[in-house]
Amino acid sequence: MQSHAEEKSSTLKAVSQRVPLWRDVVVIKWVTQIGLLAVVVASLWFLAGQAGDNLRARNINTGFDFLERPPDIQLSEGIDTSPATGGRALWVGMVNTLRMAVVGIIFATVLGVVVGLARLSNNWLIKRLAGLWIETLRNVPLLVQMIFYFAVLTALPRVSLESGPINGWLHVSNKGISMPRIFISDGFYQWITVVAVGCLAAFFIRKQRIKKHDLTGENTHAVYWAFFTVCTFALIGLFIHPVFGFVGGIFSALATLFENIPTTLIKVLLSSILIFFAARWIRNFFASRRSATGHLSLIDDDIFRMIFVGAGALIAIIVVVAWTGISSWILNSGRDLFHMLEAKFEVDGAARPFDAMKPDIVKPGKFANYGTNGLTMGPGFAAVFFGVVFYTSAFVAEIIRGGILAVPKGQIEAANAVGLSRGQSLRHIVLPQAIRIILPPMGNQYLNLTKNTSLAIAVGYSDIVQVGQTVYNQTGKSLPVMAIWMLFYLTCSLTISVIVNFYNVRMKIVER
Amino acid sequence: MTNFKDSTSTDQLNSDPAEAESSSRELPPKIAALSPSEWLKANLFSSTFNSILTVISVAAILLILRGLLSFIFNPLRQWSATATNMRLLMTQAYPENQYVRIWVSLGFLLFLAGVSLAFWRAGRRVQIAQVGKQLLAIGAFILLTTLLAPFSNKATIIWLLIGVFIIGVGMFLKPADEQKTVSSLTLLSGAFLLAILSLWVIPYGHHSYISTRTPKILAEPGTVAMTTKLPWTIMLGVAISSYFLACIFRDKIDEAKSKAVLSAAWLISPLFLLFLVLRDPDFDTGHLFSTDIPIFVFFSVVGSVLLLWLTKPEIGEKGRIISTAILFIGFGTFAISMLMIVRILTLCLAFFALAAPTFSGQKPARIRYAKVWIATMVILCWLITAINTPSTAKVPGDFFIGGFAITLMIFFFTMVLAFPLGVLLALARTSKFPIFRIISTTFIEFIRGVPLITILIFFSVMVPLFLPEGMDLTEIAAVTIAFIIFEAAYLAENVRGGLQSVTRGQHEAAEAVGMTNAQKTFFIVLPQALRVAIPPMVGQIIATFKETGLLAIIGIFDFLYIARSVIPGQTEYMGSTRENLLFVSLVYLVICFSMSKASQRVEKRVGLGER
Repeated sequence: MQSHAEEKSSTLKAVSQRVPLWRDVVVIKWVTQIGLLAVVVASLWFLAGQAGDNLRARNINTGFDFLERPPDIQLSEGIDTSPATGGRALWVGMVNTLRMAVVGIIFATVLGVVVGLARLSNNWLIKRLAGLWIETLRNVPLLVQMIFYFAVLTALPRVSLESGPINGWLHVSNKGISMPRIFISDGFYQWITVVAVGCLAAFFIRKQRIKKHDLTGENTHAVYWAFFTVCTFALIGLFIHPVFGFVGGIFSALATLFENIPTTLIKVLLSSILIFFAARWIRNFFASRRSATGHLSLIDDDIFRMIFVGAGALIAIIVVVAWTGISSWILNSGRDLFHMLEAKFEVDGAARPFDAMKPDIVKPGKFANYGTNGLTMGPGFAAVFFGVVFYTSAFVAEIIRGGILAVPKGQIEAANAVGLSRGQSLRHIVLPQAIRIILPPMGNQYLNLTKNTSLAIAVGYSDIVQVGQTVYNQTGKSLPVMAIWMLFYLTCSLTISVIVNFYNVRMKIVER
Repeated sequence: MTNFKDSTSTDQLNSDPAEAESSSRELPPKIAALSPSEWLKANLFSSTFNSILTVISVAAILLILRGLLSFIFNPLRQWSATATNMRLLMTQAYPENQYVRIWVSLGFLLFLAGVSLAFWRAGRRVQIAQVGKQLLAIGAFILLTTLLAPFSNKATIIWLLIGVFIIGVGMFLKPADEQKTVSSLTLLSGAFLLAILSLWVIPYGHHSYISTRTPKILAEPGTVAMTTKLPWTIMLGVAISSYFLACIFRDKIDEAKSKAVLSAAWLISPLFLLFLVLRDPDFDTGHLFSTDIPIFVFFSVVGSVLLLWLTKPEIGEKGRIISTAILFIGFGTFAISMLMIVRILTLCLAFFALAAPTFSGQKPARIRYAKVWIATMVILCWLITAINTPSTAKVPGDFFIGGFAITLMIFFFTMVLAFPLGVLLALARTSKFPIFRIISTTFIEFIRGVPLITILIFFSVMVPLFLPEGMDLTEIAAVTIAFIIFEAAYLAENVRGGLQSVTRGQHEAAEAVGMTNAQKTFFIVLPQALRVAIPPMVGQIIATFKETGLLAIIGIFDFLYIARSVIPGQTEYMGSTRENLLFVSLVYLVICFSMSKASQRVEKRVGLGER
């Protein structure tokens, strides 16, 4: 308490001998910052104005109306190869990018883990081969690799009934690679409901078994029990899934509910959520700035932060309230989602959850091509796929190897000493420690892979960048298209880093 | 969060804990050499599973090697497409009668390389027995390849003989004493010497391509070996002799100073080679003497006097006021019509004046600061004059050089300019000023969140729209700016990692001796932070080099674009894409691989990245 009083008196002294305004640290600090902000804003303003003038001079208007108009575009691959509107075309591009990213991430991880473990093998030859794989693939630019794979694929023999390595099952030709397709059929959604119920059951059974294990100490195989429960449900579901037809009714009711909610309610809801978060932030902020005695001391930075957060929340609330489009968009998309789900459940009882089809080859005109039956990778898709998977696998392999080597040897020796088997020591001792080292750089690689799929433009795979370029070449709307690109990739990057960070936090060692 | 961000692209370099561990100073205990059968049992057939793996992978290797060889040596392959267009691949349409300029530039760079190798005492000792072992492996590989490849009988016999000869040399060297070593530089130059000798003996790559569609000769009849054997021999001579000359002189001159001069030469000489030697500007002597030189003299004299005065420690408030005034004058020059060079130099002077208190001190320090100012003036004036002068090299396209040369050029500019920008961004992101932090973080995360190709397309398509009337930027310049911005964001994250590793005590110590914030940053924090950040930054540099291939997508005539689109477009060489791309991959592979290996070795030797 005494020191506090001293502090106060010294502050009073400082106030009486106040430095002139132009030498005050706080003043200089904020003047510099606001000056820089002004320069940045002014130059952006100037550039935007310049762009506007230039666009007007060239008779280019920058509206988003092209999203509604029919484009004259044929896409090489995707859910819709001749889209009805520009927006639809870009949507197909986004789906293609996401599809490539997801498939690429899965395969790159699997391949990378295999190569990384091979790099650690005690077989000299395997070790060297893995090393060769890593050093070659990560030192050749991805773009060069992609173009090379594309050149190799398109130089393959023409597609024909006899062209496959295994005719009727696997075809490799200049039109790409085709193999049998297993796809979800009409009964899938009812079946997956059964499986979901099975998962719920498995969760409880697992809990029960673990409890029993804790009480009695006998090995209750909780994981196996849960696994077999899910399997049993999935198997039974193949026969009894039509009973879940009634779920469609629930979705229909939800859709009606969404139709009848007024937009004002959504506005109020969103605003209160925003207010809640801002208030919580400010409360926590005050708590963190309060000393043990309850004395609150704020410096200029803290005030700036509070103003920043408050102003941000206020602007967000104003936008939410003033722009009805946001609320009605939420309502409409909710309604559409439930209507879509409702339709999925309206099938007759005999529908199967899955179906399979063998690849076929059709000859509509002069040239043969794959039909729609098989699962076909066009040369573009295959080139991008092999490119990103091979390239990323080399980096993933190095991460895996580094992570495993970073686990101290003593840990493994200790595990052996207490009598754990090799598999047990790997599962319970090495992997949990290695995962913590592996995960952050892995997340980075996943981000890189997603961004690298944009190189598809070089081989003509219809990803978002390629479709966007075609669209703006036809409509001249380069600025809006580029804005959509950036927004899309930023969303992807943010999503991946949020997921990885979530796991990072969960995996962190809880220290005492 | 931080952890996740800081690990950007370190993986390429830092992922070798095992090797780092084994590099301890102590000599490892001697392990008794295994006999071949013991080695096989221990390394290939230690268990049933391992034996199966070995058998399968041997079969796979043989199959793949055989497939690869029959692809490469297939008579259908048009390797002549790559060989004939070598000049196109390297420099696009650079005028042939001016080609000596390219060789002079390369020679100068090799001269610098030789001198630098000598001054930094590069190269390590390699045991001769080790070399023998390597030769044995190479010879065995050649024998295996020869037996698998679809060669003619004559070629098979020649290659078998070569393989046997190499094995023989290896056998001869292998039992050599452990004490006998040889410098790795000697080995390297020996390998180059052999390659160049082979140019004199074997006429590689016959090229006599004359396009039938347009009556234009792309390459004169002859061979790649014929036209390049003499220059290459001279190049090797220059490199080796400069190395030995530097070895003689390095003990007689101040080493630290000469290292600084060499570093500066590496930074500056590419600019001069590019704009003066390669571009061959057509100087207007009258204008030079009437305008450019007087401006240069004025700015160097007035500027250095001013800076000498401003760096006096006792100048105080007055100095700041004057520097700010110059800054405002500098910005003001943009409002009135004036020569661009004057505007740039005034702004430059303003920044030097603003930085003066940071570098103030005793007389030698002040004179050094003035010297730096004059050197900056020399370089800036020289470059601006050279860039503004029209080139005499008349080539199609909007730039006088292309191919591999433009890849290297954009790479160089990106690295040189992205580095300072990245450091600035990192400092802003870690600063105590919240608005700086917000601007810098937004910028970095935005750039890192989107793919490079979208930024490149944005710059190449949109930049003309953002420029005011009368201002013009070539596509190459716009794309280089895009590269700089992109790489700066990534480098900033690497530097930030370094900045965070500087301990609190260092900051406090600097403050305790009375340093200003700027002095603390420049003389205490940054040197330590950059040292820590070097390994990830080298990884980023390699990544940048690989990313230069993206130039091909936006249609700049770079290495990859020529290999992929230009050469297969020639009527004689349709369908030669795969051959050209294999060549391009090989070039990238060799450069990137040797960069990463060399940096790993240097890091290990000087203990970089460790604190």
